Amino acid sequence: MRRIVVALASLGLFLAGAVAGEEVVIGVMGPVTGAWASEGEDMVNVVNLMAEEINAAGGVNGRKIRIEVGDDAGDPRTAALAAQRLVGSEAIAVVGTYGSSVCEAAQGIYDDEGVLQIATGSTSIRLSEQGYPLFFRTCPRDDEQGLVMAEKVAEMGHKRIAILHDNTSYAKGLADESRANFEKDGLEIVFFDAVTPGDRDFTTTLVKVRTANPDIIVFTAYYPEAALILRQKKDMKWAIPVIGGDATNNTMLVELAGAEAANGYYFISPPGPMDLTDPAAKKFLEKYRAQHDSVPSSVWSMMAGDAFGVMVEALKHIKEPTSAAMGEYLRHELENYPGFTGSISFDEKGDRIGDVYRLYQVNAEGEFVLIP
Amino acid sequence: MEVFIQQLTNGLAVGGIYALIALGYTMVYGIMKLINFAHGELFALGAYLGFTVLVSFGLSGNVGTGAAILITGALVMGFSALAGYLLEFAAYRPLGESDRLSAVVSALGASIFFQNAIMLVWGARYRAYPADLLPNVTLGFAGQDIPLIRAAVLAASVVIMLLLYFFINRTRMGMAIRASAIDQGAAKLMGIDVRRVIVIVFLVGPALGGLAGVMVGVYYGQINFNMGQLYGLKAFTAAIIGGIGNIPGAMIGGILLGLVEAFGAAYLSLAWRDAITFCVLIVILVVRPTGILRERVAEKL
Repeated sequence: MRRIVVALASLGLFLAGAVAGEEVVIGVMGPVTGAWASEGEDMVNVVNLMAEEINAAGGVNGRKIRIEVGDDAGDPRTAALAAQRLVGSEAIAVVGTYGSSVCEAAQGIYDDEGVLQIATGSTSIRLSEQGYPLFFRTCPRDDEQGLVMAEKVAEMGHKRIAILHDNTSYAKGLADESRANFEKDGLEIVFFDAVTPGDRDFTTTLVKVRTANPDIIVFTAYYPEAALILRQKKDMKWAIPVIGGDATNNTMLVELAGAEAANGYYFISPPGPMDLTDPAAKKFLEKYRAQHDSVPSSVWSMMAGDAFGVMVEALKHIKEPTSAAMGEYLRHELENYPGFTGSISFDEKGDRIGDVYRLYQVNAEGEFVLIP
Repeated sequence: MEVFIQQLTNGLAVGGIYALIALGYTMVYGIMKLINFAHGELFALGAYLGFTVLVSFGLSGNVGTGAAILITGALVMGFSALAGYLLEFAAYRPLGESDRLSAVVSALGASIFFQNAIMLVWGARYRAYPADLLPNVTLGFAGQDIPLIRAAVLAASVVIMLLLYFFINRTRMGMAIRASAIDQGAAKLMGIDVRRVIVIVFLVGPALGGLAGVMVGVYYGQINFNMGQLYGLKAFTAAIIGGIGNIPGAMIGGILLGLVEAFGAAYLSLAWRDAITFCVLIVILVVRPTGILRERVAEKL
């Protein structure tokens, strides 16, 4: 009996292998649930829509693409499980993920298994400093963001700076980077501390910051907390400008804070979906709107689209779809691929080359306005 | 001085919310010697029910602000009480006299069920309460501007706690609850329907928890499906600090915890706020394992 079972099982494995040969499995790892669920949902929607288009046109070199979704819930522990699941589902490349600490938890697993990973929203510097040969990202790094942040704040003429982060790899990294640049520019850091992610009460924090008497608050963490800070700041009737990093570039920010509280908020970010000038991006967003009734709420899901785009580009140029061959192509041959968010090339570390950050401000209607 | 006054009022408001949730833990524990781990989820459910009533039923904007908040509060208390009743009926009653460990496991299961149910019904995204529910005015207090909403949250929790205090100490049902907490067997012999007392406790506790959920929604403006975890844990801590099973203890524990958090964050370190909170719990457990009020008024529930 046991022998029959073994025989059947190996036959099953063999058949599964044969079927898998005709399609390429690409994983999407994103926070489909949890605090950043709106980012994760958009990532999956964008990649699914692109894959549908490619498959409808006959696939890549005759091979269909199958998308597997791994939900990391925006949590490092869940991310490790999601990564293992995606590796187990024969994915040769993975798009994602959003949060840097979440990404960090999954990186080692993909590296061990030799799976290509292209992060889409993880901007923490050290992710690409670990020397993983198959790690790439379509999003820029925090050091560049910190540089632009310091530049813009100095241009506004502020002298006394309060910095708030939340101790996640991303927010701490950006806070440190910005602080170094502020100090270099001779601005005074009057406050530097962390808030707790998932917290609701920032009145304490704000009162404490107010006693340090800053000209501007630099908030480097994510949009749910930013929304609360803006709202509670409004309740305190404190009219200090606040500038945030790209993790607050999400329309949910205005919804959560209310348009009145969000009015005047600045943030540094790559251009949002509606400000993308690329005609292909515009056409894609029309299709997306037709399918989902709205456009993606932030640029990060478009970065996921670009990650998927360069993977497809790599698959077109290699004979056998393997992670190693894709990595080789992306690192050394891909040049100025026309992505939704601008042209894409990768440097030796797998980081994206090019300048993408812009300054935005929220207007009275709650819209994000690009400040040239 | 500014920091002190702001933190004092803020700590009191947050503490009032903790106290309301802690009451649910402590009442159930007083009667059944069971920690209802699903209570935090009932609190989150209350927040979402309030969201639905305010936004989806279009209550905000159609009737006056005061009326909208009162109607929402009343409806949510009703629905949360119903959810508490169903919880007791489905998760605890069938276990009957079996040992307490099964009830705790059942409570954890119910907690997971509720959390996922909330996620599936309302989605995993953050939800926003209407931002302009209360006018953005401030009250002068000791020379400082206190947001109206903060005062309203504190006032509401104090009123509710006073009502509960009268209910427990001045009514026949309250007396029955106190009697069942001291000795269920003797209470039965005196003709008290202990089954009914348990049902009442599972109606009142969740109603208070649900109301606290609405207060968090109105106060902070955003809710998410797993908010019950942290608030549940904090409120449970508050109940232990006050002496679990003791109603005034839960009130004191809640307020105390709110103040410790506010002042700890202001004068020690922001990032260590939760650590400070739980250190207080450890200190209380070591120095006074039965909580602040437990020993003195144990027989009064």
